[in-house]
Amino acid sequence: MSATGKRRQRPSTLGRRGFLAAGVAAGASLTAPHVLAQGHGRPRVVVIGGGAGGATAARYIARDSKGEIAVTLVEPSRAYFTCFFSNLYIGGFTGLEDIAHTYGTLAAKYGINVVHDWAIAVDRDARAVTLAGGAVLPYDKLILSPGIDFVEDAVPGWSVAAQNAMPHAYKAGSQSELLKAQVMAMPAGGTFAMVAPPNPFRCPPGPYERISMVAHVLRQVNPTARILLIDPKETYSKQTLFELGWEQHYPGMIERIGPDFGADKLRVDPVAMTVDIDGMVEKVDVCNVIPAQQAGRIAHLAGVTDGRWAPVNAADLSSKMDPDVHVLGDAAAQGDMPKSAFAANSQAKVCAMAVRGALTGSRMFPARFANTCWSLIAPEDGIKVGGIYAATPDKIATVGGSISDTGEDRATRKATYEESVGWYAGITADMFG
Amino acid sequence: MARGPLMILCLAAILAAGFSRVGAAGDVELGQYLAGECLGCHMADGSDHGIPSIIRLSEADFVMALNAYRDGLRAHRVMQMIAGRLSESEIAALAAYFGGLE
Repeated sequence: MSATGKRRQRPSTLGRRGFLAAGVAAGASLTAPHVLAQGHGRPRVVVIGGGAGGATAARYIARDSKGEIAVTLVEPSRAYFTCFFSNLYIGGFTGLEDIAHTYGTLAAKYGINVVHDWAIAVDRDARAVTLAGGAVLPYDKLILSPGIDFVEDAVPGWSVAAQNAMPHAYKAGSQSELLKAQVMAMPAGGTFAMVAPPNPFRCPPGPYERISMVAHVLRQVNPTARILLIDPKETYSKQTLFELGWEQHYPGMIERIGPDFGADKLRVDPVAMTVDIDGMVEKVDVCNVIPAQQAGRIAHLAGVTDGRWAPVNAADLSSKMDPDVHVLGDAAAQGDMPKSAFAANSQAKVCAMAVRGALTGSRMFPARFANTCWSLIAPEDGIKVGGIYAATPDKIATVGGSISDTGEDRATRKATYEESVGWYAGITADMFG
Repeated sequence: MARGPLMILCLAAILAAGFSRVGAAGDVELGQYLAGECLGCHMADGSDHGIPSIIRLSEADFVMALNAYRDGLRAHRVMQMIAGRLSESEIAALAAYFGGLE
């Protein structure tokens, strides 16, 4: 905190014009007498990435600072498809339009300057972000919430160039539509293969919920189809709950190949549509490749990563490399929280409170975090895992946790699913206003 | 620039004022911060899409509900966990904040 305070005292002369333009464009009132009286202009926060971390942070800073802070949100997508609930779209439980969100309310109601562009460079000495379109955004505090990118060559034979033949569908939208269309077009008795990612990755139960949703669809339209889950991990999230559910709802349909059978020695051929598992070649009809992951590219370009992820301080999500840069959500190496939308949303509120405190002197409170991840196995068969977390000097550390029981009755599972639908409404309202 | 020390003094004054408020009626500003944890699931507009509304409750009802989760009298493991680490003054702060929402 003290280091942050020191940096803050430096008067920012960079880009005053840029700030004024941003303020006018956003239609926000310039009601910051305290700060303006100092002759520094409104402090500027730039948020890169409009998902569960970035949209929430931008909204909370703008809402709670009541115009004292100029907030700019940089997000390339005009319509954002949430990765969470995109499996339910594949399973036919929600429409694609139901998981699409726009940024108009953040701009109109909260006065956030929403810029649809890619951030391509961060100059941490000059404290400025360059966009692909050429604009330069000066900042006093930068919040990076870029989500994930895939690690190149993580699955030999697969590349972004091949993602139309072998979709990842792990950033939602057209990829989700593509994967669903491929599942629906599978020949009778055909094979759906998934290559699951190694740890750590976005949404730990996500691949296994997707297996459930694909099985649910195939059971109806293509009941003799088989599902091959190629997984380089020994174990995975909610494993017992998923496997009991698959046995109950989709008996004999799903086969999992773990590292003991060579799943970690894998090669794919997107032209021949084959997977080579340690020398055993399988012809498949659909191949959902979810590669190994890393922090979104801008975090690497900003120089705040150590290896694949961006290490942060637990108390305020500030980068361990730069007190004026914060990193949220999937991209951050923060400790014990899973890479989930719920976690990113939780971290964003702590970060927003700390950033406001540093820039305007508003009250600061101790960090606290929570997470819950719901998964759907079959209609009205929902499960969940939750945790609460606290900031320690080393990391965000688990304080407590809970998980659905294996023997739960149908009413409980139905209630869990209904609760997940309520959560979707809640978190998306918390993100997008 | 004499802004740094001034800001620190302001911050200290604000913090002191804040702490002195805790313990009497609920601290609304603390409540607003803590409410972030609730609003990841519960709708701020009070609508119910599968998770019950927690606004427009009387402060007494709000406190009673959270205490019931904290004491294990109401069954919901995530809520028991969330309520379990809230202090009396934090629950009062949340009740004051949510009670004051439209």
